[in-house]
Amino acid sequence: MNPLKKIFDNNEHLFTGSGKYKRLASLFDATKTFFFFPSPTTKIMPFIRDHLDLKRYMSFVLISLVPVLLFGIYNTGFQAGIASGEHLGLGSSFLAGAWVVLPIILVSYGVGFFWEILFATIRNHKISEGFLVTGMLFPLTLPPTIPLWQVALGISFGVVIGKEVFGGTGRNILNPALTARAFVFFSYPVSLSGNVWVANQNTVDGISGATALAITGGDGQTITQALSSAGFSLSDLFFGLVPGSIGETSALCCLLGVLFLIVTRIANHRIVLGGIAGLVVTAILFYLIPGGQESWANAGPLYHLCAGGFLFGICFMATDPVSAPGTHAGRWAFGFLIGFLTVTIRVVNPAFVEGTMLAILFMNVFAPLLDHMVIKYKTSKRIPNV
Amino acid sequence: MEKIKLSKGFTPQLAGMPDTSLIQLPTPHTIGLSALDIPYIRPKLLVKENDPVKTGTPLFCDKRDTAIQYVSPGTGTVKKIWFGERRQLQEVVIALDAPEKFVQFDPVPKKGLGNISKQELILRLKQGGLWQSLRQFPAKDTADSSHRPAMIIVSLNGNDIFSPHPGILLDREKQAFEFGLDLLKHFSDRVIVTARHSSLGRLKPILSHITHTVADTYPAWDPGVVLFHLKKSADENTSWCITADHLVMMATFLITGRYPVERIVTVTKNGDKRPHILTRQGAPIKILSGSFHPESLVTTGRFNGRIADIQGHLGFFENTLNIIDAAGEDELFGFIRPGTDKTTVSRAFLSCLSKNPQKVDATLHGEERACINCSYCENICPNDLMPSFIMKALHSDEIEDALAYGLLDCCRCGLCAYTCPSKIELTQILSHGMDSHYKDKA
Repeated sequence: MNPLKKIFDNNEHLFTGSGKYKRLASLFDATKTFFFFPSPTTKIMPFIRDHLDLKRYMSFVLISLVPVLLFGIYNTGFQAGIASGEHLGLGSSFLAGAWVVLPIILVSYGVGFFWEILFATIRNHKISEGFLVTGMLFPLTLPPTIPLWQVALGISFGVVIGKEVFGGTGRNILNPALTARAFVFFSYPVSLSGNVWVANQNTVDGISGATALAITGGDGQTITQALSSAGFSLSDLFFGLVPGSIGETSALCCLLGVLFLIVTRIANHRIVLGGIAGLVVTAILFYLIPGGQESWANAGPLYHLCAGGFLFGICFMATDPVSAPGTHAGRWAFGFLIGFLTVTIRVVNPAFVEGTMLAILFMNVFAPLLDHMVIKYKTSKRIPNV
Repeated sequence: MEKIKLSKGFTPQLAGMPDTSLIQLPTPHTIGLSALDIPYIRPKLLVKENDPVKTGTPLFCDKRDTAIQYVSPGTGTVKKIWFGERRQLQEVVIALDAPEKFVQFDPVPKKGLGNISKQELILRLKQGGLWQSLRQFPAKDTADSSHRPAMIIVSLNGNDIFSPHPGILLDREKQAFEFGLDLLKHFSDRVIVTARHSSLGRLKPILSHITHTVADTYPAWDPGVVLFHLKKSADENTSWCITADHLVMMATFLITGRYPVERIVTVTKNGDKRPHILTRQGAPIKILSGSFHPESLVTTGRFNGRIADIQGHLGFFENTLNIIDAAGEDELFGFIRPGTDKTTVSRAFLSCLSKNPQKVDATLHGEERACINCSYCENICPNDLMPSFIMKALHSDEIEDALAYGLLDCCRCGLCAYTCPSKIELTQILSHGMDSHYKDKA
């Protein structure tokens, strides 16, 4: 027998029944099933079952986040280098970035798992794999300059209010990672506003940089001219070597990740394609409205697609199956409206430079309504059988 | 011959397909009549232990309609009557210790079907223990003889993917089959005969009788799926169905006046290619299955059967046994392995690139979690249901909603629970929902 398996088997009695550490049963179970995939015999028909389960499902989302994460770490270090006036190489950028990003991720996972275990213990259920994804998505939506206590507070809000009060993974209305981000966004706007970007607090003469969405034209400059003079050419925005939140800057990495998710059918392509279509259509409509040369209304679909967190949001946040609609037609509408709302908020509402987070949260609330309408329609098409 | 197209369903690459040759098993020492595979029955025993019985002697009847009788498939003495919890009848075991004697009815001449009234036919089939082969939708309970169904669906293929090949039966019983089809025309104006596309090659003699072919996608040949794809109005919901082997039994019974006892069954196992077996109805499972690893599950349909007790006997509605490995090994880092040998509907394992037959086992591959709305169940349901939403409606006691979503169109094929990544027992939940609604209504 595998020696590791032996350790688990020998210590199981401590965590079950009236064992010494029975309060930590859920933690023990989560650790054990992480190493040894559980596969009990089926008792009820069908007697054979598919191999896909929720552990693998959620792990695949984590795998899809690897390009975004690695690039985010690199870019954080690279931008910190620029902020302190040097041009760092690949290795040193990566190290500098890791020094900033890894603590944020560790805090997010650490604090989040604390709440997960607490709730699992009190409610006597198993730890759901959904948090693996939430705990990684949340840090990736934050700017590297975020104070760690805000990370802890944010993830606590996201896990407890966003998910556990509703009953845990599968029963939440809103995406917990975005709920966490919204909490930090509205509670500590200074930390998350688009204008401040200094990753390396220790540099003497750190400079402030604006993120792409905070830029506007003026003095006869159109928005695209203003963007390229501020160092945000379309290709920069696509590849992602620009200031921004850790995970959101590179459109390319987001697309790579979501491609993996769509090919493996973990993420639903309807949401992603619907979202991109919604964004493109809305951006073109705003572009066609006369005037507003200097504002984001005139930036056109490509800039809207690549700048800000839209692609990260639609690829990884909106495709969270729990908070998205459960019907195919509903998913198309859900994605499309997220795209529409994102551009609308960016262009029309001066209070928010970025609209993705609000658009997704807003549509999360409306997802059950979309489902309701789709099911009502589908039901009316059935030959009644009562 | 029309084609019924199925846009959903599942075609697993399973190992262990039976060979199309036929062997005959020697007569077993005991046979049984099981009550476990008869849906909704409330059995009333008509014999005691040690009673002598002939082939065709009623062993128990259905309290809901005592004219419907379940008869002994052999001659001998009642050796044992097994009861389960709350004295629920499980099985009547007969020791075959006497020369075969039949309960004799008047034979119906081959051309003489028209001379017998429908009422007389029904009565004779009920007394002969074969009326119950006709099942009535939506719950698939025993057909109500006072009802005239919009159609009767004859399925040539059984419930499992590796159920017996209809060609083997119909090669031998072509005339009885044709007689049976004539018989069904007494009960309904429309008789549908369906066969799997892959079975057609060996069905040449009766090809002209087949009205519809279905794809080889599981469960396209299930009568519930056929009905769902054919029906055009709500009064077709109460159609009937019957399998080809039961139809042949019915016909043989009427022609000869004796209860037919032969059955063709398949036994499948990973890696084996066993021939079809000609045996008696109610043969002991132990003899059919042969030897196998103790940590296995024997089922009467891997997707929609029951777990067969190794000491028990094959039921009236069953003609296949699957021996499935059930030694669940906790794999190290199983959730992230590339998985070149895992059967799956998803695209999350490398095995989805291969077309080779794959081994399956009778384990859950994970643990139960809450529904995450992933739509895997909707994407596989052959009858266009949304099992997850029906499950939620049933959990919140919104039975009207569940019915509106099409609960009664469920054919209990088992695919929703098969595919669910959260390992929710969707088939069981839907099935219980249907049953409780049906029992409330009755």
